[in-house]
Amino acid sequence: MTQLPAVYGRSIWNGRRLLSYTLLLAFLLYMLAPLVIIAVSSFGKSWFGPTFLPQDWGLDWYAWAASIGNIPEVLKNSLVIAALAVVMSLALAAPTAWALGRRRVPFRSGLNTLVLLPKMLPPIAFALGVAKLFYAIGVVDTLFGVALAHVTITLPFAILVMSSTFAGIDDRLIEAAEVCGSRPWRTFLWVILPLAMPGILSAAIFVFTTSYNEFTLTLLTYGPHTVTLPVKTYLVIGDGFVPVGSAISMILLVPSLLVLLLIQGQLKPDKLIGGLKGV
Amino acid sequence: MKLAEGSSTAILGTDALRIRPRFGVGRSPLITFLLLLPGFGAIAFLFLLPLWLVIQLSFAPEGTDAGFTLDNYAAFLGSPTLRGALFLTIELAVFATLFSIVLSVPLALVLRRPFRGNRLFRLLILLPLMIPALVSAVGLRLFWGDVGWANLTIQLLPFVDGPIRVVFTVPGLVLFYVWLFFPFTALLTLAALEGVDPAIEEAAEVSGASRWRVLRHVLLPLAMPGILAGSVLTFIEAFGAFSIPLIAGGDNRPLSVQIYTVSAIFLHWNQGAAMSVVMGAAQIIFLVTYFRLLRRQQPA
Repeated sequence: MTQLPAVYGRSIWNGRRLLSYTLLLAFLLYMLAPLVIIAVSSFGKSWFGPTFLPQDWGLDWYAWAASIGNIPEVLKNSLVIAALAVVMSLALAAPTAWALGRRRVPFRSGLNTLVLLPKMLPPIAFALGVAKLFYAIGVVDTLFGVALAHVTITLPFAILVMSSTFAGIDDRLIEAAEVCGSRPWRTFLWVILPLAMPGILSAAIFVFTTSYNEFTLTLLTYGPHTVTLPVKTYLVIGDGFVPVGSAISMILLVPSLLVLLLIQGQLKPDKLIGGLKGV
Repeated sequence: MKLAEGSSTAILGTDALRIRPRFGVGRSPLITFLLLLPGFGAIAFLFLLPLWLVIQLSFAPEGTDAGFTLDNYAAFLGSPTLRGALFLTIELAVFATLFSIVLSVPLALVLRRPFRGNRLFRLLILLPLMIPALVSAVGLRLFWGDVGWANLTIQLLPFVDGPIRVVFTVPGLVLFYVWLFFPFTALLTLAALEGVDPAIEEAAEVSGASRWRVLRHVLLPLAMPGILAGSVLTFIEAFGAFSIPLIAGGDNRPLSVQIYTVSAIFLHWNQGAAMSVVMGAAQIIFLVTYFRLLRRQQPA
């Protein structure tokens, strides 16, 4: 960042600067206000009519969510499904990512396109087929089935992240380990695995949040026993209980915001494009 | 915790997989095949098979799984409501993309300079990517609703009486789409602007170009590939958007919502499948055309 000229220093209130600040302020409000209002609405015990803040505050809507919305059960479903999705995605992706990242693979460009294809189609466009298939094999309304539906979205992502991590492992380190007499399994355990860990972990985190937030595919494969948080939010809002929906939304926000905090120091923003959530 | 190097390209999917195989490893094709099997087997089972089922359903008479008829497509294109849904989808995606560019370019121009709080604004851009679209929909609906903060503020102005309807209208949906999908455009625009060599900009200024001319003839053309790449992503996301129109669309139902309503609620799966095929095809056609145009523009 060099010296882009003196225009900045000329006067505090020159037009350019004013314009920039107005833009930033408007942007700040545009982005944050919808989230702040969710929090306010979830803590607002009674909020009627055109007022800026609720007349009365309390945790009532959370209590409602817990009792009538059956949130403990729903949260458990969401967490179990997300965990299953992580395990399945990583287990299926790891060998394939290893081959794509480190081995001679025929039809490479065709295979790459195949990995990217699910990201190029609107999820709803193949969600019907997933639902049809899952009804046919009878996994609809099982935790396993819903998690498997999420794998459709998360697997390509896991393959992409892990294959570029594996490809980035320096051959010389592996060779060095071998030259020093390390057996293959030791090389794997003490050289390859630690080097690949950042990639594996970031894939796991992304898969987890994607599954936790996934809505489209869940909506077509869920049942009474597998209601997840996003589906519950939708159902509650559909029934007109908006403040209860806000309370559940707050619970939904927690992992996403944690991840945001976790990555904020580590990644350049432009490294994060895409793939983090179901549309 | 440190995240993977190169996840950017991986997530973007541009050139992550263009990795040269190392020699010395991976000679046996059989093992390569066995390693590729789990991932691609799952993709075949979870993605290609469902895709095939959708296509098959779309050609089968209503209520059956197989057969050949074009009735579902005819019904789709013959119904004004459903045709309207297709146009609405395109309309929303196009306007969301345009307004995302309009928001992103000035924002990126401001954010590329260092100032206090710069990081905070960069995090703000990430927000819509991180939080569930459904939650955003809830918040946007509350904020822009008839008694939401936006309307309460507007009514403080003189000459405004009565709330301005935003939620459940098409312009409102565009506003929500922009909130949700502009980060793709903004992040890539910002990256592109930051990639512009300051020397070029300086050279233009030293040669006497006004700020506006520098912007118009130097910065924007150089940032254009980034802006375009970002807007493609915004368009894709906006085209397939589901939660936002489902919750905050009211009677404005784009294809995604219609597909869900027709198949999962009215149980006309074949009809829904035909609409899915048209939607998928429309998006692929758009992407292919777009990349052709891009390539023609930049022969390099």
